[in-house]
Amino acid sequence: MNPEELQYAKTHEWVAVAETDGEKIATLGISAFAVEALTDLVYIDLPEVGKQVTAGEPFCEVESVKAVSDIYAPVDGEVVAVNEALPDALETLGSDPYGAGWIAKLKISSEAGLGELMDHAAYEKQCSEEAH
Amino acid sequence: MPYLYNTPEDQQAMLDAIGADSLEDLFAPIPAALQLDRSLDLPPALSEIEMDHTLRTLAAQNAHGGNSVCFLGGGSYDHFIPAVVDTIGSRSEFYTSYTPYQPEASQGNLQVVFEYQSLITRLTGMDVSNASLYDGASATAEATLMAASATRTRKKILVPASLHPEYRATVATYLKNLDLQLITLQTPTGVLDPDLLASALDDSVAAVVLQQPNFFGCLEDAHRVSQLTQAAGALLISAFDPISLGILQPPGAYGANIAVAEGHGLGTPMSYGGPYLGILACDQKLVRRMPGRIVGETVDRHGKRCYVLTMQTREQHIRREKATSNVCTNQGLFALRATVYLSQLGPQGLRETAQLCLQKSHYAAKQLCQADRFTLAFDQPTFKEFVIRDAENNVASLLQSAQRAGYLAGVPLAPWYPELADCFLVAVTEKRTRAEIDGWVQALTTAQGACSKRPDLMAQP
Amino acid sequence: MRNTRDTQSLFELSRPGRRAARLPACDVPEREITDLLPADAVRQAPPELPELSEPQIIRHFVNLSTQNMSVDTHFYPLGSCTMKYNPKRNERAAAMPGFAELHPYQDESTLQGMLAILYEMQEMLQEISGLPACSLQPAAGAQGEFTALLVAAAYFQDLGETRTKILVPDNAHGTNPASAVMAGFEAVTVQTSAAGYVDMEDLAAKLDEQVAVLMITNPSTLGLFEPNMQQIAEQVHAVGGLVYLDGANMNAILGITQPGAFGVDMQHYNPHKTFSGPHGGGGPGAGPICVTEKLAPYLPAPIIVKELRVAKELRVASCESRERKESRVTSCESREQATAAHNPQLATRNSKLPYFRLDTNRPKSIGRVRAFFGNVGVLLRAYVYIRTHGPAGLRRVAENAVLNANYLLSRVQHILPVPQGNRCMHEFVASASELKRQQNISAMDLAKRLLDYGYHAPTVYFPLTVPEAMMIEPTESEGKETLDAFAETLFRITEESAELLHEAPHTTPVSRPDEVRAARQPVLVWNG
Repeated sequence: MNPEELQYAKTHEWVAVAETDGEKIATLGISAFAVEALTDLVYIDLPEVGKQVTAGEPFCEVESVKAVSDIYAPVDGEVVAVNEALPDALETLGSDPYGAGWIAKLKISSEAGLGELMDHAAYEKQCSEEAH
Repeated sequence: MPYLYNTPEDQQAMLDAIGADSLEDLFAPIPAALQLDRSLDLPPALSEIEMDHTLRTLAAQNAHGGNSVCFLGGGSYDHFIPAVVDTIGSRSEFYTSYTPYQPEASQGNLQVVFEYQSLITRLTGMDVSNASLYDGASATAEATLMAASATRTRKKILVPASLHPEYRATVATYLKNLDLQLITLQTPTGVLDPDLLASALDDSVAAVVLQQPNFFGCLEDAHRVSQLTQAAGALLISAFDPISLGILQPPGAYGANIAVAEGHGLGTPMSYGGPYLGILACDQKLVRRMPGRIVGETVDRHGKRCYVLTMQTREQHIRREKATSNVCTNQGLFALRATVYLSQLGPQGLRETAQLCLQKSHYAAKQLCQADRFTLAFDQPTFKEFVIRDAENNVASLLQSAQRAGYLAGVPLAPWYPELADCFLVAVTEKRTRAEIDGWVQALTTAQGACSKRPDLMAQP
Repeated sequence: MRNTRDTQSLFELSRPGRRAARLPACDVPEREITDLLPADAVRQAPPELPELSEPQIIRHFVNLSTQNMSVDTHFYPLGSCTMKYNPKRNERAAAMPGFAELHPYQDESTLQGMLAILYEMQEMLQEISGLPACSLQPAAGAQGEFTALLVAAAYFQDLGETRTKILVPDNAHGTNPASAVMAGFEAVTVQTSAAGYVDMEDLAAKLDEQVAVLMITNPSTLGLFEPNMQQIAEQVHAVGGLVYLDGANMNAILGITQPGAFGVDMQHYNPHKTFSGPHGGGGPGAGPICVTEKLAPYLPAPIIVKELRVAKELRVASCESRERKESRVTSCESREQATAAHNPQLATRNSKLPYFRLDTNRPKSIGRVRAFFGNVGVLLRAYVYIRTHGPAGLRRVAENAVLNANYLLSRVQHILPVPQGNRCMHEFVASASELKRQQNISAMDLAKRLLDYGYHAPTVYFPLTVPEAMMIEPTESEGKETLDAFAETLFRITEESAELLHEAPHTTPVSRPDEVRAARQPVLVWNG
């Protein structure tokens, strides 16, 4: 996916929303900036398919050697798919964060959270501020 | 002062460099009102010679391995400690070092713990082991928390009354303020009745804790208990005796998900109950829920094999309130001693040690039970411990009488099991000789019941 | 010089048929295992332990030992761990058969010497704390925290109060919040100010009647005595809460102040730090706790109590060994002499002698947190440490620990600024962030390069509130020369090239292990 066409949460998750069979599905991952900041990731604790998630609440964790970081749900919904290949190939989070490095797909139950998301330009601005 | 090495001149030079007027000045941040205006009310300092004398005097007031023969068990045992264990355990490069935060300066400790983990998994048939916990009881409690976190919605922990009463008490303390319930299943026959277990198992049970051999020394039907537990979707926590695994099936063979043990028998002295070695091993799929430290193999920047603390994100120093446990240290020195002990014994030595325990304990039970006064309390197979019933129901004075003859003859069960007030627990290790066993039988069979008033006398100073 | 052949894995050194231990022949009539044990309880094959000779074992472990730094071989200024000298007389004491070979379920009449020591230990820890009750049971500092929080929970339950929160300053050791959660509470973080003290506004905002306990480390992990300590304690008490002291840093205040005097209701000790019990490569420690009178009923059982009994009765009860067939038990006379020698004032036959009893009848007790009495071997070492120091000696320990830390601070602060000021208690936290910015030298680089110069590294990257933290605790058992040399070495390292430092250490058996690889694909057991 093209990062410029994605939406971003303040907490560094990217989101792509697509409609299939009348249902809105959000695919999400973490941004290249976040992957870089988290340094060498060693483990991801994927959520279970079927899990209900709430916008703004953590639903998944990634770990580096000496830190644990929460991944927050950008919208309310249900986990309908997770990237099963990811735990054994964490390097894809770095090499292809917006493609093969996707983390989970959520079936959106409320779009309320979507309004809080930023476009690419706004997110870039946030990152450049955080970097200083 | 024995361990300071700044001279008065050094101290003055140091104060000058700091810009402080006096030692008192350094404590200025402590409000004067809070400072102690007197000396601590402690006994005056003893020289090394005086200290040694005091300690010898006090040590002489205790009955111990040097002046008594120990038949006591119940989780602490008079097993033999080979000299190599003391030699290595006394290397101050090991015992005066600390947690391997700097792996480059701690490869000795790290490799030892890696070897310890490897030996424990081979001994138990489990996939992984941590670097050790405090003792068998707290390891059991930690295992119940692990099981509860792995099974999420399940809130009950089942334990048979044949699990060590102090382990049950410890688990109860750990669960007390959490949303978890401890249920004790009675064991009138000395072991857990599988039918009783089956009736207690449902989808709210997170784990069953089974001690093998159990507190009474009896062998539980571990296979059946394991099948029932797994079928109900609960986890089996096995509390095993490491020495017994020289001859008994390991927890991995009967499908335990978590195996815990008191490991002091592997080369650590009894020391009146501690410090000891808590062993915890588990299935691969539970590894991220393990409490405590874990050492892993890796390579250094030159590609050389080496060892580091790993999977640290589980631990309190990183995850804080979300950690798998509050445990910080492991029992490094005793993990070392266990590693040396198991290396020294090897597969044959461990097997022979277990065989000696088995044979001698059965001999002891048989000899004692030739007297009409004594019977085995339970009709179950045993390994190195057994429970004796005293037909005269006079356990306290019986044991006191044996004590006067130089035998620490058994552990009375009354404090934990009122229904077994006429019983005592006996352990026979590989150290006991036939002469000692015969002497113990003699001491118990010739004990006079006449001193039964003594406990009353003692109670009224 | 380095022997790498014998430090191969035990499993690589193993050869079938080799063995080190020889067990005695069985001297009782042997029975078939199948007669004694059910077939499905018997192991099919022996465990796959390595097969080694005894000389091989010794060479393996002795060579491994040389790959460690330790207090006995190197200066070890690991902050918050109090790596002081571990006196050898303590080791000898703990190894005496009269202590090491005691079974936990011996009758108390056969343990009077041991119980006398442990009773005295309770009393001495109470005096050092200024708190009137003590439990020696917890196995480590973290377990002491957990135990004390359970004591607090039981106390509030007894009062009919439901309190849910434990306050923990952000620079506290991670065990504090972890213990709070294990004890069934919610851990709430209180901010500390830039100066390193509890942020009084944030405390006020978070303090309410839901707060059961404030856990405080004082002196703190930054090596600072909390200036608002009394006020903090008063405020916590005003809402009915309790103050818990993480006693990790007691070394700084021995005989200077008592936690009971600054408002503490309960505390743990780390005898392996403060009272020199060796750290054992990670343990064992011990975590005895002291509490106020109102919390005493909830302490774990048993507690040792002292009674006075008429000598005649004692004699009958514990010493009537006339009939015994062999002289295995210490003779009656020598035992009495022993008691008398320990208590000369109580020597007369008809006077009362102390008798030490395990008090298990404590109906409000929280129960137990481990099996058996406690980490007695560690407590015994601590006992010897305290008795060989006496009150004046313990105060001098604190004075010299604080003197050494302040002196070292004064020697290094021009290279490594100490954000919290130019004075400290027993330790200080310096920051390498200036060095990092100007010379690209991190706290980690300094730590690793120190190893090359024969110093163990300070604690790095803790507490998290100080960037590029280096937490340095020299302890009292070091001298000025060592501190001077250490400071000079640090300075010399900052003159070295960043490239050299990034690849340090250069002289250790291994250098910069790949921790990412270890965590990504964990190899936790030997599978060669």
